[in-house]
Amino acid sequence: MTDKINDQISAFIDDELSEQECAFLVRRFEHDSEARGQAVRYTLIGSALRNELLKPDPAILLRRISSALDGAAAPVVPARTARSWSPRIARPLAGLAIAAGVASIAILGLRALNDTSVPASAPVAATQAAADVVEPASYVVPRDVAEERPVTPTIRLTNYVVHHGEYASGLNRTSVHSNVVTAPEILLDEQERAEPEAAPVVLE
Amino acid sequence: MISSGCRGLRHPLLLLTIAVVGEASADEARTWLDRMNRAVEDLSYQGTFVHVLAGNAETLHIIHRSEGGKTAERIVSMDGAGREIIRQQDEVRCILPDQRVVLLEARKDLSPLKSALPSYSNEIEPHYAFAVGANDRVVNRLTQIVEIKPKDEFRYGYTLWLDQETAMPLKSQLVNEHGKVVEQIIFTEINLADPIPDSALAATIDTAGFTMLRAPDSAAPVEALIPWRAATVPGGFKLSIATQSPIAGSEYPVEHLVYSDGLATVSVFIEDPKTTADVGEGFSHVGSTNTFSLTLRGRKVTAVGEVPSQTVRTIASSLVAE
Repeated sequence: MTDKINDQISAFIDDELSEQECAFLVRRFEHDSEARGQAVRYTLIGSALRNELLKPDPAILLRRISSALDGAAAPVVPARTARSWSPRIARPLAGLAIAAGVASIAILGLRALNDTSVPASAPVAATQAAADVVEPASYVVPRDVAEERPVTPTIRLTNYVVHHGEYASGLNRTSVHSNVVTAPEILLDEQERAEPEAAPVVLE
Repeated sequence: MISSGCRGLRHPLLLLTIAVVGEASADEARTWLDRMNRAVEDLSYQGTFVHVLAGNAETLHIIHRSEGGKTAERIVSMDGAGREIIRQQDEVRCILPDQRVVLLEARKDLSPLKSALPSYSNEIEPHYAFAVGANDRVVNRLTQIVEIKPKDEFRYGYTLWLDQETAMPLKSQLVNEHGKVVEQIIFTEINLADPIPDSALAATIDTAGFTMLRAPDSAAPVEALIPWRAATVPGGFKLSIATQSPIAGSEYPVEHLVYSDGLATVSVFIEDPKTTADVGEGFSHVGSTNTFSLTLRGRKVTAVGEVPSQTVRTIASSLVAE
C-alpha cells in the first residue's frame, strides 16, 4: 500500500478529507482488506495518542464511514429509475456492511487495547493463587531514581540493547526489538557518523 | 447440621483446597509458559501488532521463520522512521533510516551459551507467582490468559494472552513494580499457516549511503573469564553467561555478563578502558528496556534489562573486580 493511501486513511480517521476523497476511500475499503486493516490500526493508534485508552471511542471509524456514505456516496449513485434501484441501494448497503465490519474490528481492537487487566471473570484459581502471593514490603522509589532525568540513548547504548536482545527470551526479545525500532530519539555521536556505504568502515 | 468437630475442620480444609487449586493453576501456568517459549522460537508466523508504550502506539510488522532448526526474523516499524531489525542465521542488522545508520553484528549460534540461562523451574518460585486466568479472544482466536506476578519490586510482571492452539502470545502486557501496565503488544492480525519466502525477510530500505557500524567480521561472543562480578544482585538473579562480545562499532571487545532470574535477563557491558565510545551516564531507557551507566575504575559500565530501573542500577553500581 502506498504512502499516499496511508496518508489518506490517516486523514480520513482525523476527519480531514474532502467528501470526494472520503467516498473514494470507502469504496476502496469494500475490496481492499489491507486498507481496511490499516484503518483499524490507525483508529487504535489515534485512540492511544489521544489518551483515550481508558475511554476509547470505538465508534469513530463507523461514524467516519457512515458520514462518507451519507455525504459523498450520493453523487456517484445514478438518478432513480425503475431499472437501477437495485444497484443504487446495493451500493450504500454494501458500504454500510463494510462500515460495520471495519468498525466492529476496531471496537474489538480497542477493547483489547483498553483491557489492561485480567477480566473480572477470571476463574477462582487465579484469584486464589494471587492471594498466595507474599505481599512485597512497600517500596518507595529512591529520590534519585524518580527525579534523575533519563539521558537520551546513544547509538552505543542502542547497540547494547540490540545485543542484549539476543540473550533475552523470545517474548522479551520481541519487546526489546520493538523498543529499538520505535524509540523516539537515538543520539548519534559524530565520531560514529563515519564513511557511508561506498566505503564501509570496519572498526577494529 | 455440621458438627463442631467438622466445623473446626472447615477452614483448614478450605485453605488446603485453595492451596491445591492454586498450585494446580501455577503448574498449568508454567506449562503454558514452556509452550509459549517454544512457540515463539519454533513456529513460523507473520503478523501486525500494535506496540503501546507511555501513551504512544506504533504499528509493527513481524515475520518469523523457523525451518530446520534455523530461525530468521524481521521486525519493521510501519510508522515513523520505519526502522527495521533483521535477524538472519549469521547476522543481526538494525537499520535506522532516521540516522542513516546500519548496525551490523555477526550472529553465531548462541545456543551453547544460552543453554546456561535458567529456565522456568522451582528456583524462580520465591520470586514470581504464576496463575492461569480466564479465556479470551484476540484477533478472533481463543486465548488463555496467564499471569506472572513478581513478589518484589526488582522485576516486572506479565499478563499474557496465549493462543489456545499454539501458545503464541497474541497479546502481552508488561507490568511495572507499581502494578501499572508499561508496555503492551497486541496483534491485530497474524498468519501462522502460510510459508514465508526469503523476500519477506529482506530489508525494504535502500541503505546505500548509510553509515555501516560493524563488529569485526570473524568475531562472535566467546566464553571468557571476566574478572568482574556484581556484588549485589536482587534475589534469584544469577550470573549465567560471561563472554567477550563484539558490539557493532566497537573498537575493542566488550566484556558482557548476563544475569537471569529465569524470566528476566540483565546484561552488564564493561567497555575496554581505551574506548572512546559515548555511552552516557546515569539512567536511560529504550522503550521499556531500562539502562544505567556509570564509570567504575576507568571502565564504562552499563546494565541493560527488561527490569525496573533500580534493578539495573543496583547491579551496575555493585560491580567489583574479582
